[in-house]
Amino acid sequence: MDFSLTDEQRIIQQTARALFNKECPLALVRSAWSNPEVASPLWQSHLRDWLALSEQSLADATLFMQEYGRALVPGVFFASLLAAYAASTVEARLTGGATVAVAASNGYWIPNDEPTKHHVPSANEAQQVVVISGSPQAPRVAVVAAAQLEVTAVEHMDRLRPHFRVHVDGSDRGHDISPHAWQRVVYRALVTASAELIGVGRYLLDSALAYAKERQQFGRPIGSFQGLQWQLVNAALELERADAAVSWAAICVDADVAEAARAVHIAKLEAGSAARHCARTSLQVHGGIGYTWEHGLHFWLRRAYAGDAFMGPSDYHAACLAELLFAA
Amino acid sequence: MKLAFSAQDDAFREELLSFLEQHCPPQARATRDMIGSDDVDANGVMVIPQWAKEWQATLFDHGWMTPSYPPELGGRNATAIQTMLYLEALAQRGICRSLHFGGYAIVAPSLLEFGNAQQQALAPAALRGDTVWCVGMSEPGAGSDLAALATRADDKGDHFVVNGQKVWTSYAMVASKCFCYVRTDRDAPKHRGISLLIIDMDTPGVEVRPLRHLTGQAEFAEVFFTDVRVPRENLVGELHGGWRITLGALAHERGGLWVEGVAGCQRAVDDLVSMIKRLGLQHDASITRRVARLYSQSRSLRAMGWKGFASFAQGSSAPEHSYMKVAMSELQQTLYELGMDLQGAGLAITDPAIAQEGGRWQAAFFNALAATIGGGTSEIQRNVIAQQVLGLPRA
Repeated sequence: MDFSLTDEQRIIQQTARALFNKECPLALVRSAWSNPEVASPLWQSHLRDWLALSEQSLADATLFMQEYGRALVPGVFFASLLAAYAASTVEARLTGGATVAVAASNGYWIPNDEPTKHHVPSANEAQQVVVISGSPQAPRVAVVAAAQLEVTAVEHMDRLRPHFRVHVDGSDRGHDISPHAWQRVVYRALVTASAELIGVGRYLLDSALAYAKERQQFGRPIGSFQGLQWQLVNAALELERADAAVSWAAICVDADVAEAARAVHIAKLEAGSAARHCARTSLQVHGGIGYTWEHGLHFWLRRAYAGDAFMGPSDYHAACLAELLFAA
Repeated sequence: MKLAFSAQDDAFREELLSFLEQHCPPQARATRDMIGSDDVDANGVMVIPQWAKEWQATLFDHGWMTPSYPPELGGRNATAIQTMLYLEALAQRGICRSLHFGGYAIVAPSLLEFGNAQQQALAPAALRGDTVWCVGMSEPGAGSDLAALATRADDKGDHFVVNGQKVWTSYAMVASKCFCYVRTDRDAPKHRGISLLIIDMDTPGVEVRPLRHLTGQAEFAEVFFTDVRVPRENLVGELHGGWRITLGALAHERGGLWVEGVAGCQRAVDDLVSMIKRLGLQHDASITRRVARLYSQSRSLRAMGWKGFASFAQGSSAPEHSYMKVAMSELQQTLYELGMDLQGAGLAITDPAIAQEGGRWQAAFFNALAATIGGGTSEIQRNVIAQQVLGLPRA
């Protein structure tokens, strides 16, 4: 397995980081909490074009999504990227912001004919909803105008990416796609979500490290205390391990090898656990200041937990992996 | 980022596999998560059996001992990627190259880098296994704080006189030479008064006492030096310049070790899956999820090793590799401990006729307990990562 980046991949990384440094400061994240509209200019003038990532390798998308997660970019891009993966199975082109409606109340991305879809991200900003129905053996995909669907907000710990219930009863059920085609949508969505979580963890860890070097107590930086150093090392270790797992999963999905089935569950469970670990450690290192609303660390902490839960939490993916290991 | 390497690299791997098919003796294929019973004498003290000597020489003669070196040093000028493929192919099959890694992994590379022409000439025999070396580093008062070593070598002009004691010295009972770190300047700061000597183990005044592990076997020893006369030409590198060589030696030791460690973890986790099915425990979700998480960790660690290798090969630093030792050694212990736990009250039974897989899990667990201590404890590793990788201030 060769993890070296191409020159083009380096450019994706650098361009994304420069873009978010400039266009997505903490002030924007803060104000998007109560007013999602503030993120529209970023979507209109930059992020829409980046949806082209859905037609590139998943390895490219993971590099972009890590930067996206690090900056905690508000708005409809994440949901739209997943929607683009799903819409590509019926060769539909999406015209604007979009999202995917698939899960029953358990949140798992398993095609079903329930009249209500749960855990649908960013439906408030979507013009189109890719509705998945049928069963795992016979999935169906329909692209439906959001205006035709009844959408209900659900109170959610991460208001920067609100979740909705979408009633799809009676709406167009679209076209049959192959189970394999649907499986690839799930794989790409899982790896994309995992990559974002790596970025979220990266921000939480980096901010903790910076604070530990600067904050003085007992006449020295708190980062010189072994008790804090080891906590930070453990979080960093888990994050690096998860980061590698996500890259590996992207490579497997791009190559469409059998190993991908295990690799995507590994990616999501490692990334979810690592982001949560980094969140708890970062808060502990920041101490009281990190517990304030004003500081803003909690926005990333919320995303770490909500992102772990999205498409099923770490424990669910451990169970999926166990099923694959013990099936034979 | 891609799945496969080049066609030349595939060809390299094919050639290796057909060589192994043809030449590798069954004893070298044993799963070496414990010391084999034929590697110790009746008292449990390590010996090097004839097959191991012949196998190492065969590897050397065919250019498969240390592939990155030229043919005269047991290699074939392999690239860095090919070297990794080589290590992984061996490790996945549980094949060991040599029963004593000090000579080929630490001594030969250090001699080639720091020795004079005469000393460099000792490298081929070290690599071929014709000369068995031990490495004299740790002492009773110098474990994690290696630079505090106190074995002294007094400069007498054309020779040194060595007095002191080494401990946890692997292979000392079978070695003919010792790569020995000694204090040559007791007034200098501790890192600046260390030198490296080659000491023949049959020199008068050298005494070796095998040191039994908690496993009951003795692979390492205490080595005592009493007025041992060492010729000046046995000084490697500069006088008082030994610390630099220790850093190099530890880097040589760690460079490819992760490949073996990861393969060991993967074998263990695959064997756990088989044992769970054999014991009919595959419907116990608390067990299968635990194994799934360990499986996930071991696969992710393999990816982390290769990712670190990629950034290293592209000229960047590879923080991933600093994490590998601490992560693998802790994972190994967890895996083997779970292998014992699955046996219920039988976890404490080591009778090979009764225990699962002949008591392999218990033996492997006891063996793995050394992994978080030897070669730098997990605590020292964490300190080093905190300061050198994460840039946190020293305590």
